[in-house]
Amino acid sequence: MAREKDYGNPSLEAKLKDRYYYSDDTNRDFTKEVEKIGRTIAHMCYQCGTCTGSCPSAPRSSYRIRLFMRRAVLGLEEEALTDPDLWLCTTCYSCTDRCPRDIAPTDVIMAMRNLAARRDIVPRNFLKTVQAIYTTGHGVPNNDVNRAARVKLGMDAEPPTTCGFPEYIEGIKAIIDHYGLKDRADKILSEGE
Amino acid sequence: MHEYAFFLGCIAPNRYPGCEASAIKTSEKVGIKLLPLCGASCCPAPGAFGSIDLNIWYAMAARNVVLAEQMDRDIALICNGCYKSIYEVNHILKHNDELRDGVNEVLKEIDMEYKGSIDVWHLAELYYDPKICGVDKIRESVSRPLTGTKIAVHYGCHLMKPRKERHFGDTDHPMWIEELVAALGAEPVQYRNKMQCCGAGGGVRGFDLEHSLDITNEKMINLQEVGADALTEVCPFCQLQYDRGQVEIEEKFGIKYGLPVLHFNELLGLAQGMSPDELALDLHAVDVTPFLEKIL
Ligand code: SF4
Ligand code: SF4
Repeated sequence: MAREKDYGNPSLEAKLKDRYYYSDDTNRDFTKEVEKIGRTIAHMCYQCGTCTGSCPSAPRSSYRIRLFMRRAVLGLEEEALTDPDLWLCTTCYSCTDRCPRDIAPTDVIMAMRNLAARRDIVPRNFLKTVQAIYTTGHGVPNNDVNRAARVKLGMDAEPPTTCGFPEYIEGIKAIIDHYGLKDRADKILSEGE
Repeated sequence: MHEYAFFLGCIAPNRYPGCEASAIKTSEKVGIKLLPLCGASCCPAPGAFGSIDLNIWYAMAARNVVLAEQMDRDIALICNGCYKSIYEVNHILKHNDELRDGVNEVLKEIDMEYKGSIDVWHLAELYYDPKICGVDKIRESVSRPLTGTKIAVHYGCHLMKPRKERHFGDTDHPMWIEELVAALGAEPVQYRNKMQCCGAGGGVRGFDLEHSLDITNEKMINLQEVGADALTEVCPFCQLQYDRGQVEIEEKFGIKYGLPVLHFNELLGLAQGMSPDELALDLHAVDVTPFLEKIL
């Protein structure tokens, strides 16, 4: 964390510029922001590792939820938001149910993903879901095979959702446009092509 | 009759319409009427959408809740992912004025207002709740018991977890869905690490399919160990992950399991005498026939 005070001792100050003793690439506001968005008390983490021990993603990848908790507490914003492992949490909430400090590590991850997305760091599949919902109201839209199956079941080909009542899609577009998310999704996705 | 606004979500109506059909028909036999919630959208997907911006997730889910408020009915739904969005956002907005005001500011643009006047339920919990239906009533509704079949239960994550924001109690060894399965005449079987995630959630299925399938594969190994005839769940997204996932596991890892996967509503439909055709079971990627042969 960036220090506000000075020791007034040049040799000690020089020492403190050495990364071995001191790292200034941390941001104390990061911890606070993560806690606000995630609505959880990340700074209470005492690194016991129960979360990683509960995590289905840990045994098959380098993703470690405890590491992300450390990054949250220390304000290691860059490290947290640029690590692709951030997107390997299945949001199963096992860690949250077991954390002895009553923290929700899952929601720490969700908050970090929100913060990463603000910098346009977000995998393509997430943005494609946004596009699908914007155009159809559904993340998984209807298709012809399914329409035929529905008719065979004696149901309408279109379910009574935005599929059957497309006039409701305008409201969905208005909400997404309020946040400018569709334009951002389009922009990021076109850059990647 | 207990009446509910039936929130469909995406995967049930658009991939497994048998889940929707069976929900409507089976619930009617136990005194629950599911009314169409016209104009509802994706919940929206808590992992894919919430990961990008929780505020938009709140607003989009609230819009769906408001549609039910306008009908003056509680919501019933059949998907854990939808439960996460619709139940949880409703719960959060009821208790957090700041977030509620933020959401209402956006909803005002489309002439809507979130009031917090209804509750949200998973149909499975309504089936289990003796005040609404209860296990006995489920048992009495069965005309074709699933005798002689061993059925394993996948609870999924977002119905019961996080525990302190839900009302289901124990999330390590729950047994209430097994009670429902036993009421159909089947033998519920236990397996290792029952509460582990299916692997699909949080956008991981779309982000890293192999990673996601590897989690599913671990579940499949544990299920194979106990010789289950079928796996049942209460979430069409888990269903998709296990059902289509088995085909993908075969393609990518060269392992074939052939374990039929049925939503609890589909299972209940079969036990109440619905035919496989009425459930569109031919849309399942894993052939359900070996299971059907045991009960038909
Ligand atoms: S279980 Fe809780 S206290 Fe322990 S390392 Fe994880 S977040 Fe920190
Ligand atoms: S919620 Fe995410 S971090 Fe926590 S145990 Fe599940 S996959 Fe791991």
